[in-house]
Amino acid sequence: MEEHTPSQNNWLKKVWFSVRIPFLAIVLALLVGAIALLASGANPLEAYWQLFKGAFGSLRNFQRVLEKATPLIFAGLAVALGFKAGLFNIGAQGQLLLGALMAGFVGFSLKGLPPYIHIPLALLAGLLTGALFAAIPGLLRAYSGAHEVISTIMLNYVAINLSDYFSEGPWKDTSPGNIVSRLPAIEPSAEIPNIGPVPVGFIVAVLTALLIWFVINRTVFGFEINSVGLNPHASKYAGMRTKLLIVAAMVVSGALAGVGGAVETMGVVGRFQPGFNTGLGFDGITVALLARNNPVAVILSALFLGAMKGGANTMQFYANVPNEIIDIIQGTMLLFVTAEMVIRWVFKLRKQRETEITVTTGWGQR
Amino acid sequence: MKKNLFAILAVLMVASLVLGACTKPETPPADDTVKTFKVGLVTDVGVVDDKNFNQATWEGVLAAQKELNFDAKYIETKDAKDYDANIQLFVDEGFNVIVTVGFALGEATINAAKANPGIAFIGVDQFQGEEVPGVAGLVFEEALSGVLAGVLAANLTESNTVAAVLGTDLVPTVVNYNRGYVGGAKWVNPEINIISTYHPGGMDVAFTDPEWGASTAKQAIEQGADVVFAAAGNTGNGALIETAQHAGLFCIGVDTDQWLTVPEAHKCLISSATKDITLSVVELIKLAYEGKFPSGNYVGGSSLAPFHDFESMITDEIRTKLEEALEAYNAGEIELPEK
Repeated sequence: MEEHTPSQNNWLKKVWFSVRIPFLAIVLALLVGAIALLASGANPLEAYWQLFKGAFGSLRNFQRVLEKATPLIFAGLAVALGFKAGLFNIGAQGQLLLGALMAGFVGFSLKGLPPYIHIPLALLAGLLTGALFAAIPGLLRAYSGAHEVISTIMLNYVAINLSDYFSEGPWKDTSPGNIVSRLPAIEPSAEIPNIGPVPVGFIVAVLTALLIWFVINRTVFGFEINSVGLNPHASKYAGMRTKLLIVAAMVVSGALAGVGGAVETMGVVGRFQPGFNTGLGFDGITVALLARNNPVAVILSALFLGAMKGGANTMQFYANVPNEIIDIIQGTMLLFVTAEMVIRWVFKLRKQRETEITVTTGWGQR
Repeated sequence: MKKNLFAILAVLMVASLVLGACTKPETPPADDTVKTFKVGLVTDVGVVDDKNFNQATWEGVLAAQKELNFDAKYIETKDAKDYDANIQLFVDEGFNVIVTVGFALGEATINAAKANPGIAFIGVDQFQGEEVPGVAGLVFEEALSGVLAGVLAANLTESNTVAAVLGTDLVPTVVNYNRGYVGGAKWVNPEINIISTYHPGGMDVAFTDPEWGASTAKQAIEQGADVVFAAAGNTGNGALIETAQHAGLFCIGVDTDQWLTVPEAHKCLISSATKDITLSVVELIKLAYEGKFPSGNYVGGSSLAPFHDFESMITDEIRTKLEEALEAYNAGEIELPEK
C-alpha cells in the first residue's frame, strides 16, 4: 500500500488510481473474512493458504479456476456493457440460463455434424437466445419507460420456468434410469475441448473481452453507448438515436450472457441441467463492479472470483472451514466496492477525476 | 499508512484475538489407535444438517464410526458442478468408502467408481440401472412403509375416509408410497374411501408448494377425511400443518420422522412413513469394512416412525395389525394398485 505515495511515473500512478478502490476493497474483505474464520475456530492463514492451493495447487485445480472464471467473464461483460449505457441488466442470469438451454438443445438434437459446424452453431443458438430475451426489457425501457431493473428481475423467473419446462417436458433426457429433469448429454461434436489445462471457452472469453474493450473505446457505437450512459438527454440533443441505442446495448449485453451460458453447457457441464447455472449472472454483477466496468479488468476480476470458487472446496476439506466464508468475502467485497466512501475514509484517499465512473444514471431516469 | 487505517487494523486485531481465544478448533485430535479406514461423505447441494437426507446419512456414518472407530469427514457441496471435484478430494486422500447423497450425484459417483476401483461408493437414493462394480445404490421400499401408513390410517379413521397428499407422479418413489398406502388401507377395510391427490405441476414445484398441500388437505377434510398422509416434501408439510388446525384429525409424515422436523404438526402427527437411511448406511459401511461390499441396488429398510405423544392411542390391536401387515406384505399378500 506504499505505491500511492506520489510516483514519478505518471502511467503507474494512473493505473494505481484506477485499481486502488477494488484492490483495497479486496484487502478489507479478506480481513473481514479472516475475522469470520477466527470466529468459526479456524486459523485464517491456514484457510487462505488452502484456498490458494485449492485454486492453483495443481494443473487440475487451475483448470477448474479457468472453468469457473469463463462464464463469469461473459456475465461480467454483459453487466458492464449495460452499465456503460446506463442500464442495470439484472437479467444476465435469465439470459445466460436460456443461452445454456438452447446451446444444450442444439448440442444434443443435431447429430452427425462435424465439430467445426456444430460448435459455432450451438454457440450462435446461445447468443441469439440471450440477445432476443434481452431485447424484451430493452424495448420496454426504450419505448414504454418500464425500468429494466424491474423487467429483467421478472424475466429471470420467466427464464427459470421456461428452462424447467423444457427440461421436464419436451426435451427431457429419457435415457433409462434417469428420473431428474435435464436435457440429454450433448453430442461429442458440440463439446468445447481443452488445450492442456486451458478450456477453449476461456480463450474465447478473453478474446471477447478484448473485442468489447475495442468496441467501447474505439468505435462510434461505443462512444454513443458511453454518452447515452453519461447523459441520455444531451445525447439525444446531439442527434443520437437514444432509444435504438438502449435496445442495442441490451441486445449486445444479452448476447454476451447467452454465449456465457452456451460455453458453460458445451465446455463444462456437457448438457443443460437446471441448477447447474445458478447465480452466474448475479456473480456477473460483482465481477463488473469489481472491474469498474472495464472489459479488460473484467477478465482479472472474474479470475479472482473463479479462484475463490475453485479453491473453496479444498479450503473446506483441509482447513475444516465452512464454504460460506467465500460468500462472506464476496459480499463484503461488493459492499466496499460500491460504498467506496468507506474505503476513502479508511485509507484517506482523495478523489481523483480519472477514477470517477458513473455506474448508472439512476433509478427512473430516462 | 494513515491513522484511520491503523485504527481499523488495531480494532480488527483485537477482535481477532478475542474471538480466537474463545473458540476452539472443531476437529478432535487424531487418535493413534484408529485403523487406517476412512469414510467420506459428499452432500448434495445444501448443508449436512438439513434435517433430511444429508443429515440422516451423516448420522449413519457417525453411528458406524462409533462401532468401528475410523476417520470420518464430510464436504458440503455448494455448486452442482463441483460434484466430481468434491468426490476427488476424498479419492486423493485415500478414503476407503465414499458416500454420496442424492440422485443428482449418481452420474459423478459412477464415473468416480469406474476410475477408482477398490473404493466402495455408497450412493444414497441412487437407483442403479445397471450394476457398476464398487457402487451400491441405496434404495428403499417405499411401498412397505406406505402399507404400514395405510394400515395405521384405516385403523384410526372414524369417518371411513382417509386422504393422501402427494408430490408429482413423475417420481416413482412418490407413486410407490401411494400404492402402499392405498393397498394397506384396503387390506384392512376393502370398503374404505381413499382420496389420493397428486400435485399437478412439474418437478420444480411439486415438492415446494405448501400452499397447494394445505388447500388439498383442506378439501379432503371437507370431504370427510380424518387421516391425511402427506408424501410431498415441503408441499406435504403444508398439508400436515393444515391438518393440525382441525381438532381430532390425524396426519402421517414421510421420509424421516417429521415429529422432529415439523413441530407445527404435533397436534395431528401420529407417525411418519420413513426410510431407514441411517441404519442402512451403517450396514453398508460395515459390509465395506468387512470386505463384503455389494454392488448394484441395496434395498434399505422402511418402517413407521415412533408415535411420540400418541403412543397411548395405539392399542395392542393396532400394533398386532401392523405386524400382520408386515408379514402379509413380505408374503406378497397385499394387493397394490398401479398408481
